[in-house]
Amino acid sequence: MDSNEGKLAERAVPLPVTAPRAAGIAGLSTPYRVLAAVALGAIAVAACAHLALVFLHVAPSNTVSKRHAATVDSWIYPEFEQNWKLFAPNPLQQNIAVQVRAQLRTAGGELTTSDWRDLSAEDGAAIRHDLLPSHTRQNELRRAWDFFTGSHDDDNKPNGERGALSEAYLRRIALDRLAGWQRGGERIVRIQLRSATTAVAAPKWSAERTDTQTYYRELPWWTL
Amino acid sequence: MVDPLRARAAAERGLARVTGEALGPYQSAVVRIGFAGTWLFFLLREFPNRHELYGPDGPWSWALAKRLIATNHAFTVLMWSDATWWFEAVYVVSVLASALLVLGWRTRATSVVFMVGVLSLQNRSVFMGDGGDNVIHLMAVYLVLTRCAQVWSLDARRTERGGAGPAGPVLWGVLGAVFGYGALAGRFDALWAAAFGALWVGAGVWWLAGRYAPEGEGRALLDVLANLLHNAGMLVIMAEVCLIYATAGWYKIQGSRWQDGTALYYPLGLDYFTPWPGLSALLAGSGTVVMLLTYGTVAVQVAFPFTLFNRRIKNALLAVMMLEHLGIAVVLGLPFFSMAMIAADAVFLPTGFLVWLGARVALVRVRRGRTGPVAVAGAGAVGR
Repeated sequence: MDSNEGKLAERAVPLPVTAPRAAGIAGLSTPYRVLAAVALGAIAVAACAHLALVFLHVAPSNTVSKRHAATVDSWIYPEFEQNWKLFAPNPLQQNIAVQVRAQLRTAGGELTTSDWRDLSAEDGAAIRHDLLPSHTRQNELRRAWDFFTGSHDDDNKPNGERGALSEAYLRRIALDRLAGWQRGGERIVRIQLRSATTAVAAPKWSAERTDTQTYYRELPWWTL
Repeated sequence: MVDPLRARAAAERGLARVTGEALGPYQSAVVRIGFAGTWLFFLLREFPNRHELYGPDGPWSWALAKRLIATNHAFTVLMWSDATWWFEAVYVVSVLASALLVLGWRTRATSVVFMVGVLSLQNRSVFMGDGGDNVIHLMAVYLVLTRCAQVWSLDARRTERGGAGPAGPVLWGVLGAVFGYGALAGRFDALWAAAFGALWVGAGVWWLAGRYAPEGEGRALLDVLANLLHNAGMLVIMAEVCLIYATAGWYKIQGSRWQDGTALYYPLGLDYFTPWPGLSALLAGSGTVVMLLTYGTVAVQVAFPFTLFNRRIKNALLAVMMLEHLGIAVVLGLPFFSMAMIAADAVFLPTGFLVWLGARVALVRVRRGRTGPVAVAGAGAVGR
């Protein structure tokens, strides 16, 4: 009996206050548990909502994403915007080179027009044999041209603010690249850009035939 | 039939785990090191071109950026001033934040600065980026939510040694001043002001609880909240990687070139993506190789999310995808995109492999006679 009582008494001794707290929600008292549970619910809902919105953004336009387009866009843009159609549905199958020429006024006051200069070819030469190509060579001009074509119609008329921005951007890129190019005393009066699009030839192991002629799209002259 | 008792027990175990642990300590650490390292490498690579990419007088000038950002409201501290010194300061701070995030020094604060740096530079010149920048942008935001310095970090080493130091409060003090200025001067929109406010208050409460009541229940609750946030962040990171591969794969299936098995031939003929024309021509020379790589790419991308239910197949596919990205880095000349994708893939690496890798790195360092932070923190955390 005595020994039994001793055991009971031992068991009744309160836990020392320094006992390690159980990890997680189990180690908390009720009010704190309620707080933790509320947080768990809120964080879970937020994470799922975010993922659902990202899913609707990257999925093809569908019944649900069309219905909630405003909600999706307001959450996704600008910071969660993403595009993973990498080389899809089809990879780009043509080389689009951006070329520029300038009209110069010589020291004697004469107007001359330069030959076309292939800025994309210069990018290509800089990328060649470089293990770490720079964004300035690989993305700058290429994406600026995409921006331009995406914000202009086929007659090179700009669609609103983005069209105007893309024109100013292309012009600045071209002028940066032309800097120091003219001979002594010459001044650039106007510049003109064009794209030269050439399809990548069909593989020699395929029976396909591709038209590999170069097609040009000329922009109007821009006066400086 | 689902046994209700067993289901309940499983739910309780799950609840104990998501509230009691910041899951995937090695995976979150490798993602942190991977993304911070990629961005650091990129910023150093582009250091000579930084003005052309993001500077006030670059082709995408400050004035042009201002007009675009007035319409899309993207976050960038570079629009606070068009002064060159401000741009230089932001660039240098971004470099420092990336380096410190690799090392895991005051990681929560550093990850916030890293995110601000990434968003500020990328949003300043959106037309300079590619898919690699896009994934770094997203992960920089998600990483802020995670406790990604539990291992392989200076923070882990300091915790092991029981130190705290004044750097944390000083850092948050500076951040508080910047956030305060941004909020009061109306530089942030409401959502960003709220996010920075919550981060700052959270860090303050965390510090106070650790200093004055480290054993208290409030501190324990904060730990639970931090774990919840971390686990949600890791879930979002993993789901994001799945979404990337799923969209990349499913959209390809719809393309005629991916169907006829020639898709990979075409990028090999694009001047912007052929740094090694001889190598590209060699790869493009065989129709069979191109077809196998084309189909293989689509199959792996579409399949990957589903293989997460099987450890071994998932690991095999992970290795294939990392190798493919290594190939893309060289053949298509996209090293930073590839590094970022490999860092994203790494969130799915098995813990056993990461522990082994950490031990190997530690061993190399010990052999060289340098017991640096990685070695100590990595070795100490293996038992956890």
